[in-house]
Amino acid sequence: MLAATGLTAAMAGCVREVRNAVNRDGIDQLSLTITTLPADGDRESIQLSRAIRNALEAVGVDVSIAMRSHEEFLRETLINHEFDVYVGRYPTGTDPSYLYEALHSRYADEAGWQNPFGFTNLTFDQSLERQRDAGDGERRDAVAETLSAFAAEQPFVPICAPREYRLARTDRFDGWGDRHPATPLGYLGLEALDRENGSGNDDSRLRAVHTDARPSQNLNPLSAEYRNRGLFTGLLYDTLAVDAALLEDSGAESDGEDGEDGEDRENREDGEDGEDRENAAEEDEGDEGETGDENPDRETDANDADATGPDLRPWLADSWTLEDDVLTVRLREDCPFHDGRQVTADDVAFTYRFLADTTLGDDRVPTPSPRHRGQVAPLEAVEAAGNDREIAFRFRRSLEDASAAVAGALTVPILPEHVWRERSAAADVTGVRIAEGVTEALVVDNVPPIGSGPFAFADRTDREHVTLERNDDHFTLREGVDLPAPTASEMRVAIDPRSTSAVELVSDDDADVTTSTLESYVLDDVIEAADEADDLEVLESSPRSFYHLGFNARKAPFSNPRFRRTVARLIDKAWIVDEVFDGYARPIAAPLVDQEWVPDDLAWGGDGDGDPATPFLGQDGEVDVEAARAAFEAAGFRYDTNGRLRTRVSR
Amino acid sequence: MLLEVLIRLVVVVTVMLLASTAAFVGRYRLRDTRLEWRERVQEVAPITVVLVAVLLGNSVARQTVPDLSWMIGWERTGQIEALEGSFIVWLQSQATPELTAYFSFSYIYAYVFLLVFPIVAYFALSNTRPLRELLAAYTLNYTLGLVCYVFVIAYGPRNMMPELVDALLYDTYPRYQHLTRQVNRNTNVFPSLHTSLSTTVAFLAYRTREIYPKWALVALWIALSVAVSTMYLGIHWAIDVLAGVALAYVSVTLSELLVGQWSVWDWLESRVPSQSEPSGQSGKRPRETRDPERDRAVEPTDSSGEDG
Repeated sequence: MLAATGLTAAMAGCVREVRNAVNRDGIDQLSLTITTLPADGDRESIQLSRAIRNALEAVGVDVSIAMRSHEEFLRETLINHEFDVYVGRYPTGTDPSYLYEALHSRYADEAGWQNPFGFTNLTFDQSLERQRDAGDGERRDAVAETLSAFAAEQPFVPICAPREYRLARTDRFDGWGDRHPATPLGYLGLEALDRENGSGNDDSRLRAVHTDARPSQNLNPLSAEYRNRGLFTGLLYDTLAVDAALLEDSGAESDGEDGEDGEDRENREDGEDGEDRENAAEEDEGDEGETGDENPDRETDANDADATGPDLRPWLADSWTLEDDVLTVRLREDCPFHDGRQVTADDVAFTYRFLADTTLGDDRVPTPSPRHRGQVAPLEAVEAAGNDREIAFRFRRSLEDASAAVAGALTVPILPEHVWRERSAAADVTGVRIAEGVTEALVVDNVPPIGSGPFAFADRTDREHVTLERNDDHFTLREGVDLPAPTASEMRVAIDPRSTSAVELVSDDDADVTTSTLESYVLDDVIEAADEADDLEVLESSPRSFYHLGFNARKAPFSNPRFRRTVARLIDKAWIVDEVFDGYARPIAAPLVDQEWVPDDLAWGGDGDGDPATPFLGQDGEVDVEAARAAFEAAGFRYDTNGRLRTRVSR
Repeated sequence: MLLEVLIRLVVVVTVMLLASTAAFVGRYRLRDTRLEWRERVQEVAPITVVLVAVLLGNSVARQTVPDLSWMIGWERTGQIEALEGSFIVWLQSQATPELTAYFSFSYIYAYVFLLVFPIVAYFALSNTRPLRELLAAYTLNYTLGLVCYVFVIAYGPRNMMPELVDALLYDTYPRYQHLTRQVNRNTNVFPSLHTSLSTTVAFLAYRTREIYPKWALVALWIALSVAVSTMYLGIHWAIDVLAGVALAYVSVTLSELLVGQWSVWDWLESRVPSQSEPSGQSGKRPRETRDPERDRAVEPTDSSGEDG
């Protein structure tokens, strides 16, 4: 009996030891996938990805590269969050306020450019909130503090901000570069010239060439996958207001001017200032005033130059008044949609309800438009104010403090209710289960688009062209309206997937302008050729996006800031700018495209001559393997005898 | 822009066709063709209809295949690159302007010529079996190739390594982009249809070497040039080219097995007994050409032309 007991006890101990040993998971070599675009989609991204892969492989990580088409890339990263790390362009970065939406933990689970990284950090959230809420005087310090916290955490690695170059012909249209050519306003107010050698007939067609085929496939202003900055949908749909800076500022050569930041909001890639308005929405602590400079009066004009917040101009709105924290917007008279129906206050009120929840309350899961989520969030209610032309906006916070919120809210595309109402239904594909909360509105290609904008949709052929025609009823064409109007009778956007052939089209007089930015590798030649030619002009404008390496912080080891910091130190940003961008970009340590808000200790080259936040471990693009391994080991990672980096991963 | 490129293509290929017809086919065969063309057309009509249907279906399918394959396909560029290493980079390091011009010519003009000329050359034979096999093999190439495209998403080397692999064709002659993007999608690189169709022609040219000995050599040379050009120009990986050769082999073998198995005309005749008279010319076509023995053999006696 005793013996049996003893035996059992011994057995138990033995089995427990085996269990202890067996149930420990081994740790394997770290193996990760870099998701990015192929060269046809973004020539620089794939080169960056390969440079990063080489550096990581040198330090014992197993890396593969997954190339995705544009829309598939955005779907995986922004909507499904199915990635380890990705390399791509962040579509904004002009004003630090975008960081709130990009990195606050409350957005970690949302679709769109709201925190695609799944980055969560309560301390960092506090800096983001302080930065967002700070009044004029404290904002600079608050931003600097946020950027320092960013540099320590490296939720993503900002790499460089490329300047934007486009090629235009000057013999058919003039006025290029009066307004930033990344925005719809860049294509309004052009002066159509009579050609000396022309045949004399009225030929004011604007022939653009675009290297991204997506506008020929989908014109849905709500689609996160098919829009970058919404240039073409911005020409098709009107907003109530536009940023005054965009009306007056060309963006050309104006690194870091205040005006720059307006345009994204106009183009609703909302990341940028959305966050301001955004959180304005959700928490109702008051913050003490930004300037409230949106002076919602049409008298407001450009002379408050040093206002920090955006200055708005009425666009589809005729005017607005602010009374008791209710903003009453009055629409212009007689503005029809492209199908002839008038834009009414009901359409406007519907638009805001719809963008906030595309299910219109039918579903248990509210599904906001991912591209406008931040812009409409500060709104408490939007209602038609008793007649066809007046709409009352009530905000969640006092308007005194929420100029950015107003600016964001008034720059969403106004949708016709009679087209979009039925799109609140759940998307339906026979025989396939669609995720809950996916509405028709988010996935429809929206062809033909019915807006009220300066151009109306005319025709398109997949991957060949999309053609817009002038909306002759547009209010900008009326007497007494001093706003840039559509001067071209037609805007035909030919799709041509490479910069070289796009440039050839412009030089051979088959196109007037490249609406996409030119790839860096052709720039030397293009600039030289344009210098020699009389009728070609290179439009150089300030950066409006930056390249970055995004980590999926939902997964180990990317959730570990030490890991991210060490990876950041394997990227030689200065070398990349020279090699990949031929020098037509600026390496950045802070996630902003210009230096205006960047404190000295994070300015590139300010401290010594390299990266002030995560100095490169090596030289001239070559990683110093010993130093890099030491850095990983210091960060708590281990190497096996074959020099492979071993980590626990979560899949 | 596209029209200009197309016109140039048509002119160049027509000139090449005329010259080759004079050189390889010879006037005796042309004379016979003038007498017998109705019968020959009737014999190849069924497979031609199938091929045209497949080509039309293909051009429609190409609109949907990318969407379909992003749903059910696998993206394989990484594995392909890992498997074959830097062969393409090495190949491109041999680039000279002359080679680039030569291979660009091969990729566009010689390729189209290579596909069209055998149709002319085999049509000039009184035995239509080589022509039917050729058309059947084209059909199979397109069909099987399309299936591969649905399941395998891969980008070519120029998309993976733009700075190492120059897109020589598109950067040196940007206008060709307008032409090739009409027929190619950048995710459809595995297998190389350029290679498989060219190799198909070369295989069949080898099989008819008794009749067209010089053409066999020329076809082999052009097919080789086209295959190399796809890699040299950074459009395909070596693995795509190997897969293309394999696809060609499968297509040629299958077409040899399948061609002559069924006859639409026999079937029609059995369905519509003794109705042949009213239909005039076509109804009178002698049935004996369906004799399988004769059908299968390549006819050396036919080579009465200059090739001998």
